[in-house]
Amino acid sequence: MEHKILKKDQIIKLYNDLNKDYNFYAPIKEKRNIVFRKITNPEEIVLDYLNSKVPPKEILFPEKDILFEYKINDNEIEFEEPKNLDDKNIIFGIRPCDAHSFVLLVNFFSQGDFKDEIIINRRKNTTLIGIGCNTPKSTCFCTSVEGNPFQMDDMDIFLVDLQDKYLVEGISDKGKDLIKKLSWLADAKEIDLEKAQELKKQAEESITTKLDLKDIDKILDQNFDHPIWKEVSETCIGCGTCTFLCPTCTCFDVIDENVPNENRGRRIRIWDTCQLSLYTLHTSGHNPRNSSIERCRNRILHKFCYYPENYDTLGCVGCGRCIQLCPVNNDLRTIIENIKKIELKKEEKISA
Amino acid sequence: MIFMVIENENKEIEQLIRDLARKLLEEKQVDVIIGYTEGTVPLSSSPIVIDKAEEVDKLIWNNLCYINLANYLVPRIPTLMNEEGQKLKVGIVSKGCVGRALIHLSVEHQLDLENIKIIGIPCNGIINRKKIEDEIGEREIFNISVSGDNIIVKGRDFEKVFPFNEYMNELCKVCQVKSPPFLEDICVGECLENPVIEDDFSDIAEFDSKTTEEKWEYIKSLLETCTRCYACREACPMCYCNLCFVDQNQPIWFGKTTDYPDIFVFHLVRAMHMAGRCVGCGACSSACPMGIDLNLITRSLEKIAKERFNFTSGIDPGTLPPMMAFDMEDKEEFIMEED
Repeated sequence: MEHKILKKDQIIKLYNDLNKDYNFYAPIKEKRNIVFRKITNPEEIVLDYLNSKVPPKEILFPEKDILFEYKINDNEIEFEEPKNLDDKNIIFGIRPCDAHSFVLLVNFFSQGDFKDEIIINRRKNTTLIGIGCNTPKSTCFCTSVEGNPFQMDDMDIFLVDLQDKYLVEGISDKGKDLIKKLSWLADAKEIDLEKAQELKKQAEESITTKLDLKDIDKILDQNFDHPIWKEVSETCIGCGTCTFLCPTCTCFDVIDENVPNENRGRRIRIWDTCQLSLYTLHTSGHNPRNSSIERCRNRILHKFCYYPENYDTLGCVGCGRCIQLCPVNNDLRTIIENIKKIELKKEEKISA
Repeated sequence: MIFMVIENENKEIEQLIRDLARKLLEEKQVDVIIGYTEGTVPLSSSPIVIDKAEEVDKLIWNNLCYINLANYLVPRIPTLMNEEGQKLKVGIVSKGCVGRALIHLSVEHQLDLENIKIIGIPCNGIINRKKIEDEIGEREIFNISVSGDNIIVKGRDFEKVFPFNEYMNELCKVCQVKSPPFLEDICVGECLENPVIEDDFSDIAEFDSKTTEEKWEYIKSLLETCTRCYACREACPMCYCNLCFVDQNQPIWFGKTTDYPDIFVFHLVRAMHMAGRCVGCGACSSACPMGIDLNLITRSLEKIAKERFNFTSGIDPGTLPPMMAFDMEDKEEFIMEED
């Protein structure tokens, strides 16, 4: 596939071209935070950002998703299905770690007998125009979780920031077709490709956080009752920051909101988190994860033990948001390092 | 009066913490010490629990110790027990607002001060992380330090200097209880004897001067980015309910979505529960991952508690807070229409 060039001042043109057929999502600065929003003014797009505060998972899996609405007219119940599911979306400027999280999200919501058509459809209708990370943060560790600051496999179109312009490469068929339609894109020169290669090398080298995750699933599996969990959870205050702002966390709660006086209501899905005590509270009053010890353990085991076991991949994409944002600085890197110090027992788990 | 630069003050405070912690542990006056240790990312610190005198050098003080450690002593977080389920004796590194929180929690019967040694320190203010991040923008901070009276922030291609007294939390600028109020047999270190509080509410003067409509718009815009992760609630030592009103689901009192009315109701009702209780530590704002500054709301309530009931929370273990006391003489013109 030949490479193209998108000049920085052509982003508005790109937006104007694509906005006709797509909801065009891109990073903007909203209050203090970089977040992905549906763009109405392309001047607002911020592309020289480190990473967004809220991961773009919120486009596929919003904080609040209306599953259906209903009205009762006399004896008839009228249902309204979720709107805009067939809309075509573009997510422009997504980082490789977040693009990889979409693979995990879709995989999760496609499992078993009850496939989540809403999320699967949204993903199907979404084109990712991603961008490599020239300057990964010190808390980034994508290279430890099978990723890379220039990983392009999960994108449809991949951009490299060459300072004054972007190198454009079509990855998937969907991406390649889209590039064909953007006939005004200039051709890239050999020197641009060389520059991109150089930036890729620099970016990879600048990732200083290296986590050794070999056998982590087995160690975790063997040490469910290890005293380390008391240590890990000792200062945890039990908020949902690490999970709500995690690109791979998928837990949700389903709530029925009824407006009895008006004979209408809706069923909604909202984000939920295993870090809150209510999450596992049984109707009987019993709570199997009654303290922060069990709740902190669950987060680590889910990503680094249950995920490998169930889906044959790690449940973490190495974005480092939980490290950066934890109010008590309960650093995932330290947790993993300490777990790795526990010796792996020889005997394999005997499965029943 | 001796002028001391923040950098040197920090060293003295740190030394005070370590000396007292060592003494308390060696003399077995306490089983554990709760304090602060160096954070692993810039602009952070981490709470730490130590139980050996050899570990006291892990304890630090650096103007980023924003978590209110009193939070770890409320019954909701039950880790401070020994293997027999006995409550441990705890030494707690206490800046003024930690001391105030401990006193207020004891007034509300949430902890027994008998089990606690308050390691009083003369807090010299907490850095306003959000303000620094706003100034730096989308660049990564590698290192932050205090040199002289300045905050030095370094990144890949930049170094910026911020005067400490401008870039500390607004709450710290007006704080008059820098050390914990003194309590016989409980306070060690530097504590305030008979603190007299002439509350300074200049931090919310601008907000107060707004019209009701302007305040509404301001708060609406302020809370817009909330994700309802509840970091504010969990970081607050006064939010110790076993079941928060907002988690109550039989019946559901409040909507759980991030629609504006639901967010608004959560924060406003939480704030109402803080009236005459908030100790103004700012942990809620520091903890918020989205950078929402919640202090204006809680400070406004503190101001009302002061004006109507002449009450400042967490100063005197012997005075009942207005929401725990009933007095026939209480002013009520705000609910009664005047003739």
